[in-house]
Amino acid sequence: MTQALISQILIGVSVTAILVISAIGLAVIFGVAGVINMAHGQFIMVGAYTAAVIGKMGGNTFVAIPVSFVVVALLGLAVERGVIRWIYDRPLETLLATWGVGIILEVVMKLIFGPELYYVGAPKVLAGSVHLVGRLPYPYYRLFLIVVAILMVAATFYLIFRTDFGLKVRAVRRNRAMSGCLGIDTAKIDMMIFMFGSGLAGIAGAVLAPIKSVSTTMGFRYAVDSYMTIVLGGVGNLWGVPTGGGLIGEGETLLAYKFNSVIGELLVFIFIVIAIRVFPRGIFGYQERR
Amino acid sequence: MTMRRRKFLKSSAATLGAWTLGGTAPYYFMRNIAKAAEGDTIKVGILHSLSGTIAIIETSLHNAELLAIEEINAKGGVLGKKIQPIVEDPQSVVQVFAEKAKKLLLEDKVAAVLGCYTSASRQSVLPIFEQYNGVLLYPTLYEAQECSKNCFYTGAVPNQQLDDFVPWIINTLKRKKFYMVGSNYIYPKETNREVKALLEKHGGQNVGEEYAPLGHTEFSTIINNISGSGAEVVFSDLVGDSIVAFYKQFKQFGFTADDLPICTPITTEQEIAAMGPENAEGHYTSFNYFQSVDSPENKSFVERYKAKYGKDAVTNAVMEAAYFQTYFLAHAIEKVKSTEADALIYEGLPGQEFQAPQGKVKIDEQNHHTWLWARIGKANPQGQFDVVWKSENWIRPQPWVPYLYPDKTCNFTDQRVKERLSKPWSVEKNRSGTINL
Repeated sequence: MTQALISQILIGVSVTAILVISAIGLAVIFGVAGVINMAHGQFIMVGAYTAAVIGKMGGNTFVAIPVSFVVVALLGLAVERGVIRWIYDRPLETLLATWGVGIILEVVMKLIFGPELYYVGAPKVLAGSVHLVGRLPYPYYRLFLIVVAILMVAATFYLIFRTDFGLKVRAVRRNRAMSGCLGIDTAKIDMMIFMFGSGLAGIAGAVLAPIKSVSTTMGFRYAVDSYMTIVLGGVGNLWGVPTGGGLIGEGETLLAYKFNSVIGELLVFIFIVIAIRVFPRGIFGYQERR
Repeated sequence: MTMRRRKFLKSSAATLGAWTLGGTAPYYFMRNIAKAAEGDTIKVGILHSLSGTIAIIETSLHNAELLAIEEINAKGGVLGKKIQPIVEDPQSVVQVFAEKAKKLLLEDKVAAVLGCYTSASRQSVLPIFEQYNGVLLYPTLYEAQECSKNCFYTGAVPNQQLDDFVPWIINTLKRKKFYMVGSNYIYPKETNREVKALLEKHGGQNVGEEYAPLGHTEFSTIINNISGSGAEVVFSDLVGDSIVAFYKQFKQFGFTADDLPICTPITTEQEIAAMGPENAEGHYTSFNYFQSVDSPENKSFVERYKAKYGKDAVTNAVMEAAYFQTYFLAHAIEKVKSTEADALIYEGLPGQEFQAPQGKVKIDEQNHHTWLWARIGKANPQGQFDVVWKSENWIRPQPWVPYLYPDKTCNFTDQRVKERLSKPWSVEKNRSGTINL
């Protein structure tokens, strides 16, 4: 019993990692630029297809990570320059516009790649599993995902808190008008951060493709998971992503173990609704400085 | 305006033509007009989603049916006329299936409709076919327990996939302890009910049963549960994206087909291509048809399909049914020399035989389902199946399996059913052939 439970908790860590990987790009864009990117799931999908193409050309996940980052970052740039920058100050319209972008991406990808599921394999070195503690062997690929999640969060933290660019980003987030007056090009900051967040979604697609399925409609589920993660963790604080991811990931796996997957998912939804009632801004909600 | 009127004239003349051909002699002169106006076609509706979530599989069914129609037309068509496919795209939306079915029956006046894939879509169109007395040919394997006067089911029902499969696992693979994993909707639940009944009958044991939400792709918890259950075999009726994610993660957690094989009535060559053959190798699927079936009919079928749709195109069991049901329809129209629904339903289609890629198949005279062959395939490193077992004979379809429903059967030749169905729909809405024994 305890053996199985330990396995289950470890599994929860990897599920948390998957949530963090898929949500962090969304959190960055939402937190800084204030845009809820409804096309986030589709950005992940484009990243996964990029990995599929790289796979066909003989590259593996390690090659796919930087390529997907660049491809989806460029896609993000195009969307930001073409659509979002005209409507930053109208949040409802950014919702609609990015939703539309998501649908367009899905249809375009289906036209290019057809409706069938695509194959993306895991790199040879990460095949297989290792016996840690607990009953179940632990797949190397899941350990790899945990490392990727930590690196993605660390890189984001470094960028925001340890670089000049990050300083400007934080300034814009705190007080956009004042930052503008002090000579920060806020439009450029928005653009850069949108690109960076999109790129992170691309990486998510590339690293998740080998354990999940790749199809043009895959984006939706990741989008829902990502929204829940950042809404629970708190918008605007990066700590919210691992926190929200951890609560949902461990909660869902433990409840699924105790009951079953269907009830587990249901209880997590209920928990999130209650949590948001108690912490309307999320657990790490960003408090306006008075 | 003239175009519309002409179209109207054409279609109404076509119906009258069909009607007169069906044997109502007094309108003899109409027939000549109909022939002149109509040209030389028999209209057949094709109702498969070409867009939306189920388009992945339904497009291949649509393709297989068009291939069959093309072949039939190349050989001179039916009754000296060409078959004209009327293609509608229901966009994977259940309500649109119903709308399009109505359009095909009432506006296009098609002789019959080849269509649907999911049970939900079939159930949404059936009332329309029953009300307007149309003919539907449905190619998917499904959970059975249904038989409508107006539908012919050419895919497998559970007894044709499971009755031999479950005892084979117990006796040949020597694995008694089953763990069942399925997607959370009607087909897996009904299938597992039947598996459980078979386990009881053949001395197997059910050590666990779990359902994942549709589209679920995170199976680590279920795999942990399986590993602690003492299972000797995993019986999966997961569908769609879930199949791919489950097989991948199953292997990543260190399970091989030698330790713990996955046995399933669903996973086809298509899903194996998507998960990579290395993740499927050694696992078993029970189906009537595999692309690797070694018969001259199948070789030529696969060849012709690839010639038309590209050399990477793969065939699967459901599209094979879509293919041969088109021939069933053509031969039935030929037999009764009519496109009138009741003639097809009572005389044309029942008993119709065809040498299909899987072997000789036949529509049952009594229950509108199809006699099919059973096969068990073991996935090989090329992503195809090696057939490791094949039934000695074709297997009779049983929409109500006797070990779960001993008091029910479906029989359209039964006097009680005939009497019930002789009343018009407006008086008797029950168009099913099910009777209590």
